[in-house]
Amino acid sequence: MGQITSWLRDPNPASRLQARIGQYYLGWLRLSRNPLAMIGLTIVLSLLVMAAFAPLFATHDPIAQDLGQRLLPPGTPGHWLGTDDFGRDLWTRIVYGARITLYIVALVALTAPLFGLIVGTVAGYFGGWLDQVLMRITDIFLAFPKLILALALVAVLGPGVENAVLAIALTSWPPYARVARAETLTVRNADYIAAVRLQGAGALRIIWGYVMPMCLPSVIIRVTLDMAGVILTAAGLGFLGLGVQPPLPEWGLMISSGRKFLFEQWWVATIPGLAIFIVSLGFNLLGDGLRDVLDPRSSGK
Amino acid sequence: MALIEIENLSVTYHVGGRSIRAVEDVSLSVAARESYGLVGESGSGKSTILRAICGLAPVSGGRIRIAGAPVKTPRGKAFSRHVQMVFQDPYGSLHPRHTIDRTLAEPLAIHGIGDTDARVVRALDDVGLPPAFRFRYPHQLSGGQRQRVAIARALMLEPEILLLDEPTSALDASVQAETLNLLNRLRAEHGLTFLMVSHDLAVIDHMCDRVLVMQHGRAVEELSRAALAGAQMTTDYARTLFEASADRMLEV
Repeated sequence: MGQITSWLRDPNPASRLQARIGQYYLGWLRLSRNPLAMIGLTIVLSLLVMAAFAPLFATHDPIAQDLGQRLLPPGTPGHWLGTDDFGRDLWTRIVYGARITLYIVALVALTAPLFGLIVGTVAGYFGGWLDQVLMRITDIFLAFPKLILALALVAVLGPGVENAVLAIALTSWPPYARVARAETLTVRNADYIAAVRLQGAGALRIIWGYVMPMCLPSVIIRVTLDMAGVILTAAGLGFLGLGVQPPLPEWGLMISSGRKFLFEQWWVATIPGLAIFIVSLGFNLLGDGLRDVLDPRSSGK
Repeated sequence: MALIEIENLSVTYHVGGRSIRAVEDVSLSVAARESYGLVGESGSGKSTILRAICGLAPVSGGRIRIAGAPVKTPRGKAFSRHVQMVFQDPYGSLHPRHTIDRTLAEPLAIHGIGDTDARVVRALDDVGLPPAFRFRYPHQLSGGQRQRVAIARALMLEPEILLLDEPTSALDASVQAETLNLLNRLRAEHGLTFLMVSHDLAVIDHMCDRVLVMQHGRAVEELSRAALAGAQMTTDYARTLFEASADRMLEV
């Protein structure tokens, strides 16, 4: 153990790989000193494990109905979180729902920030009319309320998980473009950019190798903090019947089906609501912690 | 034939609706293997001349010729092999997220030069940095060490001309002397031509064969090293500048 730590902390790394891993290790040390961030990380990791090994955690079939067992309260033997109006075990549906939630979150987190990053850095680096055109397009997307635009898109594309992802991604890239552009404007006149330009580097190399690494931390922080919003939007679309379709166990959809008997059988809507709450909280706490680690202004200490 | 020829150079920045003339009608020529200084207080346009040569400042008039050929706009890869620059601030001129290795290997990658490992190690050795520093990040180095890396980077493409924009003004006195001596040694070893900017006549005196005194974007007076040492300046401005740093010139 001591050998690994000293390898990681070696001030004179012997290879590119060791230098990079060493930096990650220092970042991890900073993150692990923040208890709230560690709670967030634990929540997000448990969600990952739950989704990956859903069949192991689940006690029943998430789709099979058992009308004799419907609307059992939490604490019933065999159904510790109770059952819904079709007699399906709520715990099982929450576990399988984690898969759908993560699937949506992962797809949005891969596409929207990447697109926003490209638009923002290109606009910021080149400036001029290209900047004007790209940023006005961004403004148009920002001018609509997120959920309304997503609703309109899903209404056109038709309901379904993929279309929900597409709609959410299309409505969530503009803030990333803004963040990336702002960051680009602060670094584009830096001496290290002038130096590499003087060495004959092209725009692609400069944007990819020099500008994007400087924008990445702010965008990653923004993405982590936005994940809660993505989950909520996905749940909102599911709730309105425009996202994931029944009988898939999506959390928003589960709240929607529990709404009809909220006063008598409160748990049917409350339990998926709590799941959304906990996961959103996890992403937010992790995002806050990452801000402390990744902020370029605090790095190097 | 002079290696660097600048004729009637003017640089005008347009900010908002106003235009600011940073350099007006400056001419100079630097022979091969010569070390030429530009001196003046801040805002006198001396750094702007270097930036104009590199294509980083908007030239509004005049001509710049390198080795007899007019420079192209944009400067292009061939220019990079002739001319490189060392920037003033060693904290801002190295990418904070690239290792020293990446910073030094990048010019080789851009120009498709192989043999990267050996060249990077040799470059570090050339500027007096231990090879163990190769995979460090800039924040793990001191200011003087960073400036050595910046000098090594400028030399990776083996240019003939090195533009030095106050290379030591951000460093403390002892490191400053070390860095200047390093630059003098490299100039002798590589046969370099220096065009160096400074606000400090003591530094210029230590480094340069000739010096151009500038004020408000205009050239005031050109002095040889002998004229500088003998305080034989003809203009009042050059004399006040000289008197301000005369006591320290004796020490160096």
